Amino acid sequence: MIGLLQNLVDAANLGSLYALAALGVGLLFGILRLVNFAHGDFISIGAYALIVPSFEVTAQLFIGEWNWALMIPTVTLIVVIVALISDALVFQPLRRASAPTLMIASFAVSYVIQNGILMIYGARPKAANLWSGLDTPILLGELRVPLLQIITIGVTLALMVALTLFLKQTRYGVMMRAAAEDFRMAQYLGVNGNFVIGLAFAISGILATAVSLLYLSQTGTLAPTMGVPLALFAFVATVIGGMGSLLGAVVGGFLVGFIVIMLQAYLPEDLRPFRDAFAFTFVILILLVRPSGIVPTRAFIERV
Amino acid sequence: MLDVNDIHVTYGRLRALKGVSLSVKEGEIVCLIGPNGAGKSTTLASIAGGVTPHRGTISLEGKPLAGVGPEGIARLGVSLVPEGRHVFGALTVAENLRVATYMRKDRSAIAADYDRVLALFPRLQERIGSPGGRLSGGEQQMLVIARALLTKPRLLLVDEPSLGLAPKIVDQVYDILLAARKMEGLTLLINEQSSHRILKHADRIYVIRGGHIQLHDTAANLQDGEAIKRAYFGFGEEAAIDEEDAA
Repeated sequence: MIGLLQNLVDAANLGSLYALAALGVGLLFGILRLVNFAHGDFISIGAYALIVPSFEVTAQLFIGEWNWALMIPTVTLIVVIVALISDALVFQPLRRASAPTLMIASFAVSYVIQNGILMIYGARPKAANLWSGLDTPILLGELRVPLLQIITIGVTLALMVALTLFLKQTRYGVMMRAAAEDFRMAQYLGVNGNFVIGLAFAISGILATAVSLLYLSQTGTLAPTMGVPLALFAFVATVIGGMGSLLGAVVGGFLVGFIVIMLQAYLPEDLRPFRDAFAFTFVILILLVRPSGIVPTRAFIERV
Repeated sequence: MLDVNDIHVTYGRLRALKGVSLSVKEGEIVCLIGPNGAGKSTTLASIAGGVTPHRGTISLEGKPLAGVGPEGIARLGVSLVPEGRHVFGALTVAENLRVATYMRKDRSAIAADYDRVLALFPRLQERIGSPGGRLSGGEQQMLVIARALLTKPRLLLVDEPSLGLAPKIVDQVYDILLAARKMEGLTLLINEQSSHRILKHADRIYVIRGGHIQLHDTAANLQDGEAIKRAYFGFGEEAAIDEEDAA
C-alpha cells in the first residue's frame, strides 16, 4: 500500500514536468498550429544558462548561484528571449506556411540550439548541483516524499492556475483564446497576430524555464540533448490529451507520467529496459479508443 | 470612400477574381450579388486584407491598402462580417464582443458603445454569459454583427448575412443592419446570392459572375430584375466564353 502511494507521488511529480512541457507545446500549437520540437531545447537552454560556459565535466554554477529571487527571473528572461528570437528569425517568415513546414522548421531550430550548446559547453554531460538542500525527505505518515517533489507539484499547480486566470480574466488572455480558435477572424477584429504569437512564445518560454529548473534540480545532470525526451513526451501528452486543448495537454502530461512510473515500478525486471516501448503501446491503445484525444477540440479540424 | 481597381486573385491554379473594380461612396449601401463561387467572398476578403490580390489596387479614402494586413485594415475602420459567422465558440458572448474593442484607442467611449450596440440585440443581452458556440444560427449572426459594430467601423462589409437563416430571421438581420447604419453613420457593402430583398435597400448594385463584374447600376434602374437576371445567369454570348474560362 505504502509502495503504491510512493509510486503515485512519483507519478504526480514526473507527470507535473510532462504537463508543464506539454502546456508549452500545446499553447503554441493552439495559436500557430506549430508542433514545436524545439521546446525541449528551450528547456535545455534554461538549464545551461545557469552555469559558467566551459568544457569542464563538473559544471560551475554562475547564474545558478544567485539568490533564487534574482536567478529565476534572469533565467526566465534568457529563455523567453531565445523563444522570441526563434519566432522572429524562423517562424515569422513562415507565417503562411503549412503545419508540416512549421514542424520541420522547429526541428531546424532544435538542431541549431543543440549544436550551439555543443560549441559553447562541449558534448559531455555535466553534473550540477542546483538547490541540493531540497533533497531532504518530508515524512507524511510512513510516506517519505522529497521536498523537491512537493515543490515540483506545487509549482506546476500554481503555474496552471496562473495560466488559467491569465487566459480567462485578462484582455491578452481573451485575445489569445480568440486567436487560438479562429486566427484570421481575430485579425479581422483588429487583434495583432504577431503580438499574440509572440505572447504565446513568451509564455511557452516561461513554462520551459520552470521545467528546466525543476528537472535540473531533480536529476543534477546537464546534457546538450537533455530536453529532447521531455519534448517528445510532452508532444505525446498533447496528442493523447487532444491537440489544441490546454486541459488535454495537462491531463495527457499527468497520464504519461503515471504510465511511465507505473511501468517502471511494476514491470518485471527483465522488461524494464523496454519501459518506453510499453508506454508508447499504451499511447497507441488510447488513440485507438479516442483518436482525437481525451479532450477533443474543434480547433484541429477547423483552421482553413 | 472605397475604391477597388482591377484586382486579380488566384487560389493555387484557380482564378477567383479576374479584374474586379468597384467603388463605394460614404453613406451608401452597395450590394454585390452573384451565384455561388462568383468571387463575392473573395472580393470582400481582399478588401479586408485576408486575401492578397496579385494585381490591382484597393484604396480607402485615397490611401492604398496594400501591405496593411487584416488587423491594420480593421484599425482603419473597415470591418468584415465573414460568411459562415466565425463566432469564437469557446468564448462567451461577452468575451466575443470584448475582443472587438481591444484595438480601440478611445477607451472611454467603449462602455457607452457597448450599451448602445447591445440595445439593438436584446437576444444577445439575454445570452451574454453563454459560450458563443451554444447560440443558434440566427443568434450567432447577430453576435458577429454586434461584434463588428463594436470595432466602430466606418465601412462594414457583410458577407451573405442571410446564408442558412430562416426568412424571418433574415428580416431581423436586415432591420438591425439598417438601424445600425442609421445610428452609427455606417457605409455598407453587402454580398448576397439573391437580389429580391436587397433591391429594396441598396443604392447601387454590382452583379459578379466568374470573377468578373457583369453589371453595375443604381438599384432604381434595376427594379424590374430583368437586367440582373441576364447578368447573373449569363444569358447571351458572353456566357460561352466564360464557361471556357472557368474550365
